[in-house]
Amino acid sequence: MTGTARRGYAGTYVVLAVALAAALVASAGIGAFTFTPAQIISYVAQAAGWEPLRTADALGRSVFFQLRLPRVLMSGLTGAVLGVSGTLMQGLFRNPIVEPGLAGTSAGAALGASMVFVLGSGSALAFTTLLGAFAVPLFAFAGAFAATMLVYRISSSFGKVNVFTLLLAGIAVNAVCGAGTGFLSYIARDPQARNITFWSLGTFTTADWRGVTLVAVCFAVCFVWSLRSGKALNALMLGEDEAALLGVDPQRLIFRLLVINTLMVAVATAMVGVIAFVGLVVPHVLRMLRSSDYTFLLPASALLGAVSMEVVDIVARVVIPPAELPVGIITAIVGAPVFLWILLREQRQGGSGFYG
Amino acid sequence: MVEVRNVTYRAGGTLILDDVTVRFRPGRFNVILGPNGAGKSTLLRLATGLAKPTTGDVRYEDRPLGTIEPETLARTRAVLSQHVHLAFPLPVIDVVMMGRYPHYGRVASGKDREIVDRALEMVGMVGKRNQAYPTLSGGEQQKVQLARVLAQIWNYDDPAPGVPGQHRYLFLDEPTSSLDVHYQIHLLDIARGLLDHNCTVVAILHDLNVAFEYGTHFVLLENGRLAREAERAADITAEELERVFRVRARRVDDAVGGGAFWRFSL
Repeated sequence: MTGTARRGYAGTYVVLAVALAAALVASAGIGAFTFTPAQIISYVAQAAGWEPLRTADALGRSVFFQLRLPRVLMSGLTGAVLGVSGTLMQGLFRNPIVEPGLAGTSAGAALGASMVFVLGSGSALAFTTLLGAFAVPLFAFAGAFAATMLVYRISSSFGKVNVFTLLLAGIAVNAVCGAGTGFLSYIARDPQARNITFWSLGTFTTADWRGVTLVAVCFAVCFVWSLRSGKALNALMLGEDEAALLGVDPQRLIFRLLVINTLMVAVATAMVGVIAFVGLVVPHVLRMLRSSDYTFLLPASALLGAVSMEVVDIVARVVIPPAELPVGIITAIVGAPVFLWILLREQRQGGSGFYG
Repeated sequence: MVEVRNVTYRAGGTLILDDVTVRFRPGRFNVILGPNGAGKSTLLRLATGLAKPTTGDVRYEDRPLGTIEPETLARTRAVLSQHVHLAFPLPVIDVVMMGRYPHYGRVASGKDREIVDRALEMVGMVGKRNQAYPTLSGGEQQKVQLARVLAQIWNYDDPAPGVPGQHRYLFLDEPTSSLDVHYQIHLLDIARGLLDHNCTVVAILHDLNVAFEYGTHFVLLENGRLAREAERAADITAEELERVFRVRARRVDDAVGGGAFWRFSL
């Protein structure tokens, strides 16, 4: 790393933004229906009124705007949410192996959401009603927040986070939430049960505009808010005391970021299900390639998270046509070995520190 | 001036500091002495604002510590801790730049970067500015942390941290434990140099000979109480040292350099 190169993160942002644009176009084009970039441009132009609507395109337009586009946006947003969430949680726990899937956030959200799915059906909370549409993210948030808080409280004492306690607490909380979700799917009647099983592996097939809007709004608010914490997260790398001496209130920072993080993960999980390891791999890659500076990692992990989720979703669509693979399976296949590799690396270095 | 007034501190029912009143004046090298468990670190935590006293209060230039905004305080008060572990591998220059965090918003200014460079120069770590912090030795890490705390209370237009009229506070918690003898002296000389720049320096030092050489005001703690406050090293007697530290103390003349130093035995 040279003095001149490390200052400018702009180059990395440009590369990631170009990759995201390419991934979005590819993801919009590939699938059961194939759309060329020219078609996509034409559809958008027609919908925007720049070109007259062509009746021959009616079916294609409808598939594109009602099915493909929300799905593409949903996977990009979810990837960004998970990437930023992984970065935030690693900053909070001061550890590179934390991510929402591991710390119970996703599992807690899934449990909260499936409660509404199963127990709320037939009542005012049914998912199809307006109230139900808000109840799902709300319960997901409650479950995710409780689970994350529990893991954080157990694993941190005297201002330090113990990695092994963290892993064990994560296992326990994930198991409890998984059992809860499993129980709910057991007592649920079809088709809810099938939905929960499928949804616990993560899928974008159910993406619609309402969900996209909800996730987009939540992500935008949380992301802008989290960007202001880059410096504070860097200071927190030195420990809570040193951060406090630099004018950061560590307790307030940790609480605020836990809320932000849990909110966006819960809402995304409520819409698409549990997708593990994205929040782990994305910041890891960025740390390896560039820097652990959080003022860089936060925006970069949003971009790289979106890119990788688009790629994963494309793979999910083309691997076993005409069926689709749940995206959670793909992220686990790629992410789990990376996770193990980081653990091994850490062990070989005798716990002296990651990446060093 | 930092005033600690009638401070008592309890943790989990244990009395750690008992009605301690001390004043750390600017232009003095204030040294806190005492055996293990005497409450030195607690006194430092209370004086820096890291902990709140159970009773009593701490004042900076007559302002209660609790009424000063944390960010404002962070621009004038820095603490060098014994060992700072970094959770992720940032380059040295990024670690030192953290000292400037209380001074800038989103983007560091040219002045901030220059101060960082000068602080690195001061501790002799310019050559390692781009090296990852965790790959440094313990002593080098300590030098980087010194550069960080110097940058934190540095003013751009001043040759060294602190300017007249603006009070600065530097606290050192056993700062020399991981340094070789050369850098021990180097660090303490830097700290002493700040005394001419309206800086209040407070240090916990374990090596009594070093403490008596640099200190110009001594606070001796024993079992959470103030055992002795002295302006001159010569005012502290062998009997006091023997009682507080439970050792035998002997004053030995330095045949070559003149003066005297302490020899301790059990």
